[in-house]
Amino acid sequence: MPYLGGEETVRELRRALSNPNVQSDPLRYRNTILKVIRTMSQGVDVSGLFSEMVKACATVDVVQKKLVYVFLCSYATLNPELSLLVINTLRKDCQDPNPMVRSLALRNMTNLRLPSLVEYVEQPLTAGLRDRAACVRRVAVLGWAKLHNLQPSSEIDAAVVNELYSLLRDPDPVVMVNCLRALEEILKEEGGVAINKPITHHLLNRLKECDIWGQCEVLRVLQRYRPQSEDELFDILSLLDSLLVSPHPPVMAATLSLFLSVSSSLPAISLAALERVSGPLLAACGSGSREMRFAAVCHIQLLLRSVPGLLGPHYKRFFCGYAEPAYIKERKMQVLVELVNDENVAMILDELKGYCTDVNTDTAQAAISAIGHIGRSYSDRCLQILTGLLGLKQDHITSAVVQTMRDLVWVCPQCSDTVCLALEGCEETLQDIQGRQALLWLLGVYGERISSAPYTLEVLIDGVRSEASLGIKMELLTATMRLFLCRPAETQDMLGRLLHYCIEEETDMCVRDQALLYYRLLHCGIEKTREVLQGRRSDPSLGVLIGRPAKPVSQWACCFNTLEPLSQGTVEAESASRESPEHMTYNPKPNADLSDTLSCSHIEEVHSGSDNAMRCSDSSTDVLASSIAAPLSLSLSPAVSPEDFEHLWLQRQALHTERGAEKIEEVDCAWIEECVRCPAVLHCSPQSLQAAMQLVNIQTLAFTPQHMLPWRVYLYTHTQRSHSMDAPNTTLILGELLCSGEANQKAGVKKGTAYSEAEAEGKEGQLVRKEMDATADRLRVSEDRQEEEEGIKVILNQQPKDDDALRQFLTILTTVLNTLSSEKD
Amino acid sequence: MSASAIFVLDLKGKVLICRNYKGDVDMSEIDHFMPLLMQHEEEGLLCPVMSHGNVHFMWIKHSNLYLVATTNKNSNASLVYAFLYKLVEVFTEYFKELEEESIQDNFVVVYELLDELMDFGFPQTTDSKILQEYITQEGAKLEVAKSKVPTTVTNAVSWRSEGIKYKKNEVFIDVIESINVLVNANGSVMSSDIVGSIKLKTMLSGMPELRLGLNDRVLFGLTGRDKGKTVMMEDVKFHQCVRLSRFESDRTISFIPPDGESELMSYRINTHVKPLIWIESIIEKFSHSRVEIMVKAKGQFKKQSVANNVEVRVPVPSDADSPKFKTSTGNAKYVPEKNLVVWTIKSFPGGKEFLMRAHFGLPSVENEEAESKPPITVKFEIPYFTVSGIQVRYMKIIEKSGYQALPWVRYITQSGDYQLRTNV
Repeated sequence: MPYLGGEETVRELRRALSNPNVQSDPLRYRNTILKVIRTMSQGVDVSGLFSEMVKACATVDVVQKKLVYVFLCSYATLNPELSLLVINTLRKDCQDPNPMVRSLALRNMTNLRLPSLVEYVEQPLTAGLRDRAACVRRVAVLGWAKLHNLQPSSEIDAAVVNELYSLLRDPDPVVMVNCLRALEEILKEEGGVAINKPITHHLLNRLKECDIWGQCEVLRVLQRYRPQSEDELFDILSLLDSLLVSPHPPVMAATLSLFLSVSSSLPAISLAALERVSGPLLAACGSGSREMRFAAVCHIQLLLRSVPGLLGPHYKRFFCGYAEPAYIKERKMQVLVELVNDENVAMILDELKGYCTDVNTDTAQAAISAIGHIGRSYSDRCLQILTGLLGLKQDHITSAVVQTMRDLVWVCPQCSDTVCLALEGCEETLQDIQGRQALLWLLGVYGERISSAPYTLEVLIDGVRSEASLGIKMELLTATMRLFLCRPAETQDMLGRLLHYCIEEETDMCVRDQALLYYRLLHCGIEKTREVLQGRRSDPSLGVLIGRPAKPVSQWACCFNTLEPLSQGTVEAESASRESPEHMTYNPKPNADLSDTLSCSHIEEVHSGSDNAMRCSDSSTDVLASSIAAPLSLSLSPAVSPEDFEHLWLQRQALHTERGAEKIEEVDCAWIEECVRCPAVLHCSPQSLQAAMQLVNIQTLAFTPQHMLPWRVYLYTHTQRSHSMDAPNTTLILGELLCSGEANQKAGVKKGTAYSEAEAEGKEGQLVRKEMDATADRLRVSEDRQEEEEGIKVILNQQPKDDDALRQFLTILTTVLNTLSSEKD
Repeated sequence: MSASAIFVLDLKGKVLICRNYKGDVDMSEIDHFMPLLMQHEEEGLLCPVMSHGNVHFMWIKHSNLYLVATTNKNSNASLVYAFLYKLVEVFTEYFKELEEESIQDNFVVVYELLDELMDFGFPQTTDSKILQEYITQEGAKLEVAKSKVPTTVTNAVSWRSEGIKYKKNEVFIDVIESINVLVNANGSVMSSDIVGSIKLKTMLSGMPELRLGLNDRVLFGLTGRDKGKTVMMEDVKFHQCVRLSRFESDRTISFIPPDGESELMSYRINTHVKPLIWIESIIEKFSHSRVEIMVKAKGQFKKQSVANNVEVRVPVPSDADSPKFKTSTGNAKYVPEKNLVVWTIKSFPGGKEFLMRAHFGLPSVENEEAESKPPITVKFEIPYFTVSGIQVRYMKIIEKSGYQALPWVRYITQSGDYQLRTNV
């Protein structure tokens, strides 16, 4: 009963501590102090004993000293005045001939965390840096970091910083690493330790002396180093090569991180490093500790984003053991889905099938949805398994299967026949809300092919009074409406009953409003209703995104070997489970369809990035349709290969710089540079950018990942103007979008030249120029408002020259960028 | 890496001991740990990282303890886990068993250790051999002079102190290989690997210089040259005492050994291993009446070798009753608390085949809950034999005093994670 007896115990302890008899007997004294610490560990507030403990600090017994220090460090912040008394003892200890005592005193002096004591601590710390015992120097070095942490605003003496830098050459490796750590902390504002060539080489040479903690620290700090020449880079890489296959997963991961950051401009090296590291990573996946295994699997997921085929032959390593915790199993299944190929699909599916009947329902459901994901590429095999699972008549399995089928049908419409057949009769086993919702959606959308659909719905409509779930009622309304459209005779009566109930008796506003909406919609006539409710049944384009292209390494390199991939997992894992945003996206709610057909304003919904892209590109076409006056059409054929592009681009760039902007009209090509203010585009994923561009027939050829500076996108298109009666006037436009971070002023100057160039164009150009000026004015306003905003420099190159088309193209491009940008805001 | 604080909690979430290293995370944040854990467990989203606000908890469980590190930074997770496991390792070496009781009994030493292991959130001295030199449990028995600086803290040979003396100089070498096997219900081997280690028990005086000779087949495999007939080893770890530069240049494993027990090297061989003990099982479940189990075990290793203490653990339904057994050799026993039949065979010669039949009754009222399908697991030990073929050719011991020392070598192959799935 620690809390109840607290006061009594404290009183007793105080009596004992101040008893001279106890104080004179070292053994009894120490045992009493032991009791104090024990009571403290049990959660009793013993801060009242502070002054007695301060006295106990003056002793030759090191263990007693340690105990007292533990106490003092815990309660010092509550008793800043009394703590001043300890300082004297501590400072005296710092002079002790025994280095252990010195380091102990120094460590605890800095652990008191009292800003008022800083002035007393600085002198012993400075002395500690020059102590001849390494253990004292280790403590002293970190002591400065603690001091800085205590008063982040105050400047640490430059002399100390210099001394710390010189201690990087200390013979003791731990002192060296602690110096790095301390300097990182102290110079946080300036971006950490200055990593120049001599320091880097020194650290690299001493890497072998460090323990694994030290190695990880050094490797992490070195990530900031940029080798000055390629030779140096390769020297560093070959020096570190043995660490890349280190058996200690943290060292291996830190080395890989360093490899990725120093060779960020050489993708081939990054890839080679990833391949080399796959062995140790796989070994880490079989590590004895489940947490390490988990961390390894999470990091493998990152790797697979860039090198999807990397571990294909090793898929068996990701088969789950019986006793593995669910969180590892879930991750392993996600990896298995990524590794599927023609050779191993049978084995993987067989294995996943085994997990579907796992006792842990979460694991089972994750396995089922994993099969569903594989179904996007191998639908027949997967559907066979899923259908087989329905035969088990287990409610959680059936529910997961039906949801998986819904998601699958949404991306692979060709599966719908099998799914429709399989659905018959499974309504009896379904219990949970998500499962029934999925079934209702399928019944509504594919009602004409499921013979029992009206009967299933009728049972639910009859029981709607006792239905508790809001989602089911809404879904039921939509499904019945949809079924009515294709099977009116069977459904009319029950639809009437349902609408009547929902409008007259239902208490929930959402359901009632939806029912009223449908009721009024029916008044508009069957054609209108059909238009609204029978939108698209599937979105195969999402399926394309599933077999997504390899992402550049730099996209995830920054969060490699940190906490992020692990906790990201919880989000991802959630999305694999039932009520996920992913399902919201794939689940085509009626209002999502509405926005397609009626093109009403955006409905606030949870969207995944991919859906977002589709959506904003939709809207951008709308805007474009209105904004383009002269009929200009863009087309992607004939295609330009990246090599051709590079060739043409460099050639014209050279031409441009050679002759200057003024003389360019001599040749039959145009070169303009423009500044567009749409900063949020930088935060768009490459996929959404590409999707949006493609929608208006602009092909993106290459881009840097989001958030990277300088940010670049290369693109091309063919313009075609058919307003004149003669042969269509086609031009090829090559373009670069660039955001370098500090390009603002430069772009401004360039804009001027672009204008003078436009002026030379004569009448037609003038009109455009006015327009552009207006835009520029608007831009300037926003510039005043938000100075830190970045502009995107657009560099365009056209051949043969057709200024009008170029201008129009620029407007289109600006619109797309602005749309994307506003979407992101 | 930076962990802000380290906590040791009991199963109820009560803090047994804690150490605040950085002071940038409120110590009371730990109160959220247990509720969070329970909540995640309920939702089936249990994960070794949990977050509350901007505080992340990274935790591991060891016997009846939770070891938790808190941080508010995006720190290196695998390094933190490595450190937590290091804690477990160090504590275990100090207290033999790391559990609530041993923490309670030794909390002074625990405080001292926590102080030395980490400072300001950075790992410092984590080698338990070094720590044991200056933090001793006897310290609690009051020996004022017991605070002299250990030479090892700054010594070049940090893992061995000078002046060690033995009457009889001996070194024992154990080569131990564990076999991990996962076999599918239809009898195909899904995965198999060998985890091996060479352990030393050194009882040598002074500062001896040791050189270990392994057979070429293994040595080539270790260095990754000549990928033909050799055994490919991955994940090879040496004790820090081994001079890696020498190993890389001329493939000699030379070192000054730590005193007492240590692991000199460990390795993993990811290869197709023939399961040494092959199990065929037929489990027939007749709902509401009975379960019939037939298990055949076959020793797929050399006739000269013998597997000792073989245990075949066969899962049975949790509601099974009235067991009946018949075995061709060994004993079968029903362990109801684990829902297992354990079939023990004291000695199992290679090439032999044995049979076990079991019969269980099932209640007429069926168990509502879905049952998991645990695999059959096998435990065994085969002395004088290694699967990889690794062999110690010689062990040279040189000390400047020139004493004679005897090396002893032992080989053992044992079961690791040895699972065979059933089709029930």
